Amino acid sequence: MSNQSASPWSVITELPGNIWKSIFRNPLPDSDHGRSATSFTNFFLHMQPVKVHRHSLRLTYTWGLGLISLFLFLILAVTGVLLMFYYVPSTTQAYDRMLDLRGTVAFGIFLRNMHRWAAHGMVAVVFLHMCRVFFTGAYKKPREFNWVVGVGLFLLTMFSSFTGYLLPWDQLAFWAITVGTSIASYAPVFGKDVKFLLLGDSSVGQEALLRFYVLHVAVLPILVTLLVAIHFWRVRKDGGLSRPPEEDEVFPAPAVEPIAVTAAAGATGATVAVAAPKATLTAKLQQKLYGIQGIVRGPFTKIGNVPDRTVFSWPNLVRSELLVFLITVAGVLIVSLYFNAPLEEPVNIMHPPNPAKAPWYFLGLQEMVSYSAFWGGVGIPTLEVIILLLAPYLDRKPGGVGKWFARERLLANSLFMTFVVVNIVLMVIGTFFRGPNWEFVSPW
Amino acid sequence: MAKEPITPDTQEESSETLTRRKLLAWLTGMGVFGSVTVSAFSNFVFIKPRVTYGQPNRFSIGKPDAYPPGSRLTLDARRICVVRDGNRMAAISTTCTHLGCIVATSETGFACPCHGSRYDQDGTVTGGPAPRALPWYQVSLAPNGELEVDKDIEIEQGTYFNV
Repeated sequence: MSNQSASPWSVITELPGNIWKSIFRNPLPDSDHGRSATSFTNFFLHMQPVKVHRHSLRLTYTWGLGLISLFLFLILAVTGVLLMFYYVPSTTQAYDRMLDLRGTVAFGIFLRNMHRWAAHGMVAVVFLHMCRVFFTGAYKKPREFNWVVGVGLFLLTMFSSFTGYLLPWDQLAFWAITVGTSIASYAPVFGKDVKFLLLGDSSVGQEALLRFYVLHVAVLPILVTLLVAIHFWRVRKDGGLSRPPEEDEVFPAPAVEPIAVTAAAGATGATVAVAAPKATLTAKLQQKLYGIQGIVRGPFTKIGNVPDRTVFSWPNLVRSELLVFLITVAGVLIVSLYFNAPLEEPVNIMHPPNPAKAPWYFLGLQEMVSYSAFWGGVGIPTLEVIILLLAPYLDRKPGGVGKWFARERLLANSLFMTFVVVNIVLMVIGTFFRGPNWEFVSPW
Repeated sequence: MAKEPITPDTQEESSETLTRRKLLAWLTGMGVFGSVTVSAFSNFVFIKPRVTYGQPNRFSIGKPDAYPPGSRLTLDARRICVVRDGNRMAAISTTCTHLGCIVATSETGFACPCHGSRYDQDGTVTGGPAPRALPWYQVSLAPNGELEVDKDIEIEQGTYFNV
């Protein structure tokens, strides 16, 4: 309206406001309409639904683990890119660059700490997230494939961490990768070739350092980003986070569904229920409800005829996410202030440390490897991964979704709990109870 | 009312007749699939190095005089142990057959610091997770009088080279 009499002076005075309004086309909302508009007119917010189920916001349901994983990944990406400005993937320079990060680069030691601790944190949190999803039965139909994508992300997280481990080129790096790639060579048929392709040589050296660097800073992050995008997209398309079925839930539909029609004959225009004459059409309609942008399959936020258990994403979801973000960043910052990332002696090919230990999350694997290289390093882990990938296709019982440790899922949960406990026990033994020559020692 | 709806496309072409359109679609599909397969395979060919820049597997270890009779000298950089027994010589690998750590010489033979594998003087496994004995490598005498070890050629345990 004021455009009609835009004086040069008002152009100047309104400039900041006009720029702001051109970027954020929606003012801070004070109505439901405004809150909807805020969500779908903002690039970052439109990845989220306009309204979110109350159950998805319960801290004790998710513990925010998926979000923490994402935020740790973002921290890793940012700190990783910054570290790349100073790092050189060369056997003669890499270790010196580590020392430079400590001694001369501004915030160098702090950035390296953040990167190292966020990486440890991400491995742990991604694993905990997987436990949460399993114990709440959240991988069940229609979310089977998203579980598979999640297992892929878990493996990529481990592999990213493994490739990053070599880069400081210290004793720990060299021997952990020597042991790790030797484990790969025990795989049947392709084992030796996989090791040769990974190392680019017959033993760990310059070629291996360069290859691990490329995998670590380019190939794996791109794959992780792609899978994260698919993971989130499917969460949206599957109707948000898993939750227990509600009593008045429309889905799954009963076999014969009465549909409400306005009785044309009735003068009052009362709504009566009649048996559906076209069963197939009704079934189709039940599979599809109209969302804001078109036809959406599966469970979807319903409108009108049932109690509304959803709240607006702005501000409810956004506030929770921001809180999780702040806690994650604060956690990484505090740990990085008080604890320095370890750096051992430079690589000495003549003298392996005794015992030569991998990072903590691989010590369960290393413990198994000390019994049998093939079964501990290849056979059992491969079986574990296959069973993890197939879990949603093996466990087809529909009940117990959306609840921690549901009674209906006692068997599945017990099996998974056994898997978790066994791996943690192996990890603890490898970490605390193994000394020189991998002999059993008491930590006390 | 009960009549089948008429769907011209499916009536004219049953699934068995091969039309030009189907053939072209099939050929295109196979072309795309083939190209993707070949490119994926080419990537593996590309990342498999044709030359390696690390240590050569065939190298000189000096004149036989450098190894007194009865000695067992470990060349850590080469990852071998040179054994001289009278006039017989051999080169035994010091790379643990378990997971590639360097074994240390011990009173009874060799011991691995990583996962506790133990070997006797000839490299036979006496304990730990190692799956097989330490390999012996071919030793030969070069024209210049120096000994050569070739780690690409494994020989039977107990096969000595007479100097």
